[in-house]
Amino acid sequence: MTFLHNYIYYIGALGLVLIGLLIVLAKHNLIKVIIGLSILDTGINLFIIAVGYIREGTAPIFSEPGLEPGRMVDPVPQALVLTSIVIGVAILALALGLAVKLHKEYGHLDLRKIKELRW
Amino acid sequence: MRTTVSIVLLAVVILGFGLSLLDVPFAERKSQIGDYYIVNGRDQTGATNIVTSVVLDYRGFDTLGEITVLFVAALGLGAVMAAAGGRRERPSTTEPPSLVLRTGTNVLFPLLILFGVYIFVHGHLTPGGGFQGGAIIASAFLLVYLCCRERRINLARKTAADSLGGIVFVGLGLVGLAVGSRYFLSDFLPKGSLDTLFSAGMIPIIYIAIGIKVGAELAGVIDDLLEETE
Amino acid sequence: MVSPALLIAVPLGLAFAVPLIGLASRKAAQYVPVVASLFNLVVSVILIPQALDGPIVVHIGGFGPPFGIMLFAGPVGLFMSTLVALAGFIVSIYAIASIKTGPTTRYHTLYLLLLIGATGLVLTGDIFNLFVFFEILTISSYALVAYHGDRGGLEAAAKYLVQGAVGSSLILLGIGLLYGLTGTLNMASIAAAVGPVTSVSVFVAMALIVVGLGVEAAIFPLNAWLPDAHSSAPSTISAILSGIAIEVGLYAVVRVVFTVFGASSMLLFLAFLAVLTLLVGEMCAFAQHNIKRMLAYSSIGQIGLILFAVALASSASVAAGLFQLLSHTLSKVVLFLAAGYMIHRSGSTEISSLEGMGMRMPLTSLAFAVAAFSLVGLPPFAGFPSKFLIIRTAVAQQGALFLVLVGLVLFGTVIEGTYFFRVVQAIFFKKRDSQPARDEAPALALVPMFLVVALIIAIGVYPDAITGLLDSAAAELLERAQFIRSVLG
Repeated sequence: MTFLHNYIYYIGALGLVLIGLLIVLAKHNLIKVIIGLSILDTGINLFIIAVGYIREGTAPIFSEPGLEPGRMVDPVPQALVLTSIVIGVAILALALGLAVKLHKEYGHLDLRKIKELRW
Repeated sequence: MRTTVSIVLLAVVILGFGLSLLDVPFAERKSQIGDYYIVNGRDQTGATNIVTSVVLDYRGFDTLGEITVLFVAALGLGAVMAAAGGRRERPSTTEPPSLVLRTGTNVLFPLLILFGVYIFVHGHLTPGGGFQGGAIIASAFLLVYLCCRERRINLARKTAADSLGGIVFVGLGLVGLAVGSRYFLSDFLPKGSLDTLFSAGMIPIIYIAIGIKVGAELAGVIDDLLEETE
Repeated sequence: MVSPALLIAVPLGLAFAVPLIGLASRKAAQYVPVVASLFNLVVSVILIPQALDGPIVVHIGGFGPPFGIMLFAGPVGLFMSTLVALAGFIVSIYAIASIKTGPTTRYHTLYLLLLIGATGLVLTGDIFNLFVFFEILTISSYALVAYHGDRGGLEAAAKYLVQGAVGSSLILLGIGLLYGLTGTLNMASIAAAVGPVTSVSVFVAMALIVVGLGVEAAIFPLNAWLPDAHSSAPSTISAILSGIAIEVGLYAVVRVVFTVFGASSMLLFLAFLAVLTLLVGEMCAFAQHNIKRMLAYSSIGQIGLILFAVALASSASVAAGLFQLLSHTLSKVVLFLAAGYMIHRSGSTEISSLEGMGMRMPLTSLAFAVAAFSLVGLPPFAGFPSKFLIIRTAVAQQGALFLVLVGLVLFGTVIEGTYFFRVVQAIFFKKRDSQPARDEAPALALVPMFLVVALIIAIGVYPDAITGLLDSAAAELLERAQFIRSVLG
């Protein structure tokens, strides 16, 4: 039980990654694929944050004068995730723009049928 | 066939990854650099928010790359959307927004802008920073788009805010290269006293530049996406 | 004393300023990438003699390793950044003539940002920074592939984006795992902490990162996006993607495998993959009727060849691989640029429509032919010494297995020669019934093409001019302990 208690965050993050990858591989509507990408990103961000957690730690902000540095979580994964979320948003925005334009051209978003380019 | 292959591959990847996680014990200290930042962050950077000092001072180059990524995406979206036609006046085929929405927006818009500015100005003292504040400002503009469809942001001013924000960041980095300790992106401004608004050298200045830039950029992204729908 | 940080900072500042400049004057905006890439070219070349003495390690922000980010400008980094700046400069001049429709200011900004992403990627010494610059490179290429807004471009961009985004996510997952295992993000510190790849966790991290980077490097089987993307993009973007983006992706894979992880056991597997990539690329190119798709598949084949040379992991073979990289960049840029105007004049991308172009566009066709001969490996062009060196170093390896691989590589080269000769024959020796008037490409397009042609011939005749640099670069890639010592002291 302690194993589960300790690793629940990793398992949850891996689960999200798995779901995201499954959606991207198995679905053929572009919007669903984009949602899958977003879930994949969320899972990875959760994983990185979980790597940085230290037992009984608080946020690394010295908001009051008395806080001791020894009880704070690792600030580096938080900085990494900040960058990663922004990059994820950037990819999402561009993907949605392409989806809107594709819908305008084809009238649908079925990736199996958007095959203008032949082999 | 393709689905079975992908599912098998996926299972292998996840299994391998899961096994390797046993080497990354949860909630133990494992970082060579995290403790250094927490212990020395206040003295070396002057900010009480250590995540901000990591984002803007120790790993400021990554943040420069990050605002570039957002810049690329906003530009790319504009380029993809613009391939068909320019701005058109949208005919209003939906029912006009209600009085509640319009009045609410009139009240909330300045409050949201103020809140966003508060978040990024205090980035070195409280949780938050340029990106978060910029996103809040963009949501204020989204609210205006929801209520009053005929209002659009001024493209020239948005481009100016966008570009100037980035130029300020790069410019400060280059100044750091020229004066002070002569490293790119070194913090050459005085650190001030801890926990006050005017402290932490150039961190608040950069966060203000980033906040304005990101706010303008995301509002521009919303504007671009809005054009296509009628 | 110039700092390598300028190679990224100055073009980035200019890139942020381009939208403002574009507001004032659309014509002025198109000169900014020319200026920026020329600046990078000059600074990179100035820094090379210093880097040959010892790599230049730049501490960004003044913080030492592993607490800050550092740039590692050694022979490899500066060689690649010179190549990126050169190709960027040439293609940006051509773009002044050829990019006339659409949101041109945005095109030039995105183009400059693509070059900045590539430059940053080859100069960085921090693995998360590598990821960030990789994203700058790939996201700008997604947008530029869709620039014309036609159906093919949009479809290619969407599929490229989905595959690239999954690849990026895998890289990030690998970086997160690596941080959890080693506790640092600095490449030299990770190399010191990891030792040779023994435990499963380190192998998984390496595999994730290599697969993610491999999508951009177009290694088989991760290259499904490439033929569509490189053929549907505007000609300038096809030239830059084939000439710079996939090479830089390959550099990232090599850097991670050799320097960060030191994985000598993976190398045989990589050599196999490389030969497979080569064969798939060349055979698919042989079957193509569309000239741009043919050139795109040829890029896949060349990446296989370069990876094969590098995976042999002797200093002579790595130097030969880098030489082939240079030769491919120069040739492919000219091929796509020349094909661009030929397609524009003839109105179609079919190879059969290029018949008789030798009469109609003699200079452009000459440039195309020179670049094609160089890529196939004929003397006196740059492709000859590079291919010769690869074959020679491969044969020098002990073992019958390598002889088989070399045989397959030679087979691939023969196929390559066949389809390129087919095109050159169509251009020069097939006569059309009606003889259209001479309709040459504009000077702004011809001058950059012939600058590169001159370079191809010069390097082909005097390869020793650059072998010194290439040997130092190969040594830097292979000597892991030296890398760690240069950074950490």
